[in-house]
Amino acid sequence: MATTSQRPTIGGGIWEREDLLTGCQAVAEGVRLADVDVIAAFPIRPYTEVMDTISKIIADGRLDAEYIIADSEHSQFEIAKHASAVNARSFAGSSGTGWCYGFEALVVTATDRLPTLFLVGNRALDDPGAFGVEHNDAMAVRDMGYLLCWVNTPQEALEHVLIGYRIAEDARVHMPMALAMDGAFLTHSQHMVRLPTPDAVQRFLPPLDLGERRLHPDNPISIAPQVNEDWVMEMRRQNWEAARRARGVVAEAYGEFNQVFGDRYQAPYYFDEFMTEDAEVVLLGIGTAAAPGRTAVRRLREQGQKVGYVNLRWFRPFPTVELRESLSRFKAVGVIDRDFAHGSPDDGGIVLHEIRSCLYPLRQRPAIVNFICGLGGRDISIAQCQEMFATTQRAATEDKLDGFVSWIGVRE
Amino acid sequence: MIKRVEINYRGIFQKSLAKRIGGDIVMIATRMGQVGFSNGRYSDSPERNGIPCKYFAFVSPDLPEEELEAECGAKLDIDEADISVVLDDTMVKGVEPWGWHGVRSINEKVVEGGTQLVVTRKRHQDLLQFIGRKPYPYYLATIEGEASLAGLWVFKDDLTHERVLGAIAGIDPSLLSIEAVTDYLEGKTHDPARVAAAREAYETVQRTSRAVAPGEGIEWPYEAPRLPAWDEFRIGAAVPAVPRHFELGPRGQSRNEQFKRSTTKSQRPVVRFDLCTKCTLCWVECPDECFDPTADGYYDVDYEYCVGCGKCAQVCPVKECIVMVDELEFTDYDSPYEQWIEHPTTYVRWAEEKKGSERVTYPFVTGTGRLVVEGQQLAEGSKPVPKRRPATRVAY
Repeated sequence: MATTSQRPTIGGGIWEREDLLTGCQAVAEGVRLADVDVIAAFPIRPYTEVMDTISKIIADGRLDAEYIIADSEHSQFEIAKHASAVNARSFAGSSGTGWCYGFEALVVTATDRLPTLFLVGNRALDDPGAFGVEHNDAMAVRDMGYLLCWVNTPQEALEHVLIGYRIAEDARVHMPMALAMDGAFLTHSQHMVRLPTPDAVQRFLPPLDLGERRLHPDNPISIAPQVNEDWVMEMRRQNWEAARRARGVVAEAYGEFNQVFGDRYQAPYYFDEFMTEDAEVVLLGIGTAAAPGRTAVRRLREQGQKVGYVNLRWFRPFPTVELRESLSRFKAVGVIDRDFAHGSPDDGGIVLHEIRSCLYPLRQRPAIVNFICGLGGRDISIAQCQEMFATTQRAATEDKLDGFVSWIGVRE
Repeated sequence: MIKRVEINYRGIFQKSLAKRIGGDIVMIATRMGQVGFSNGRYSDSPERNGIPCKYFAFVSPDLPEEELEAECGAKLDIDEADISVVLDDTMVKGVEPWGWHGVRSINEKVVEGGTQLVVTRKRHQDLLQFIGRKPYPYYLATIEGEASLAGLWVFKDDLTHERVLGAIAGIDPSLLSIEAVTDYLEGKTHDPARVAAAREAYETVQRTSRAVAPGEGIEWPYEAPRLPAWDEFRIGAAVPAVPRHFELGPRGQSRNEQFKRSTTKSQRPVVRFDLCTKCTLCWVECPDECFDPTADGYYDVDYEYCVGCGKCAQVCPVKECIVMVDELEFTDYDSPYEQWIEHPTTYVRWAEEKKGSERVTYPFVTGTGRLVVEGQQLAEGSKPVPKRRPATRVAY
């Protein structure tokens, strides 16, 4: 089965050239191609490299944009939010506790329904200080009215800057987009990336138009007024409807992207399935865990085991119907969480809870087990994935394992 | 059975007073063997000067506390009040709270047979010319007193607190008995003056309470706003601006029709245009931009938007030109400038009559409460003469 890690071929007026880029640099190139108007910057690993690359792109005359250095993550997101309010396409990014420090600005961007795009280069939450990937930072905005999506390769990162703006800026959506990518594994890993031509990008991504909500002297409005219990519930309902509508827009955007750039992504777009046609048990994960996960699948297939891997790309909107349809085919699902949810049901991870909640209404449910692994940037090995498959396989036959949570790769 | 008491008060200046009254109703009712609790309307903004707010006390002789809470807890507003207390009588002109309620008649929540209790020096008929009519009978009672407007966070201890408790006992002894009120005050304060104040109000209110017949009062001129459904307003609650417009003359500049704040004021500025030197200070200093410049260089006041802060009277350099006057002296919001241009002599006579001989201020920062000094009354054509203070003798 095709996966999106395959690179497109150059030519046809679509792909301009090929270059060796880190995930961070690929995002910066995406920002250039999206012709972003305002970029806010405050350094934190891994966003620092995105900042560096964009500032060089601007200095080289390859992008005409306002580049504003903020005094903190909080100001940085505020700058991007305000720029978005005046109909500028804006961009900022952060990670870990920096993302958390900007949280007030992050939540008001969502309630103001401003379609900006923020990069979250996933990073462990301090203390103690740590650089490595954990998904809790990005997960913090999951219920706030954000579009939230993970990418696995620099190529995907570049393309999802474009796809992200396309969905966020759609008049039916108007929600901010959090583009998440695993710190170090993706952000600092160099891969060959094909860069599309600006013409092709223009065909895919129309300019931002906030319409009657554009804050401008020609369109004087007040935004973000003080409201009380007599207004808030209606505003939440507006947001709820938009988040629901976003589901249709996501599929539409990928369809359009495929039309312009060749068939890059396969329906249902929200997730990729690998060797699942006849699979009995699968692992489901988010982010770069897919690499060892899919490799483990290949090796186990060689031994005749019916296993597969589901790479969940979109977390918000959550692909409820599509995942129900897909996962109900299997006997057992092993959910990989690169995050923690201390004290939560069964003491499992965030993804476990969402998957279980999604599958609960089904009469025929697969058994579900949970793996907490790769925290703080610890790598997830192929052998560990094979171990996870073994546990998931046992869960398919042993009732007592349903809901079982195990820690993988922790020193004991 | 539930007894509901609402206490209408002015933001910040009476916040502590209203809360104490609400709390003590519960304390006393509890000693009588009832259950109760007290809260404020949460959508209010009681930290803002003059904003009409409400505090509540709910008491029941027979319901469990949880059921009382379920019926009365933290609502946008209560549905009905057995007793509605008004701590500043200018609120009888109608109140527009911070939340989107529109301008509401002060007696809106008063039930059939319930009581509207007002702390005032006005007579019943003076109050009823502002209060909306109801289809059923209720009572209007008064206890004599000033609006107890204290300083920002200061509690002005002028016995209004004790007197309102005594008055409530006079209105409904099953809610609070006067014995329970006086026992409570005596035990808490050991101060005979406080007990006496409560007892005096208890007796007064029985004398002043009188039935208001169905249909008595005015036809309420304001409509309650209809709040839009979730898909009827712009996303993120973006609000279109009021279109810019300016021309010289009364009501010449555009203002937000949705944000008239006339019920915030307890006083309004009366302007003697014939004394005006056109210095511009009132227009410049008004925090709410309520002054409209006229073609001949005067400054008209839009009373629908004036919050009665008194800044204009404070900065006006001409004695007796702008004077703050009790809001209950006025029944309309018409342009004073137009009245003056049309009938200058009548206007000046009218203005002097409204101003009277007293100049009332509320030094909010010090919290000393209502301050009255003697004013100067000036006929048309006469000039104000500054009064010289007698030299202070300093003893060494």
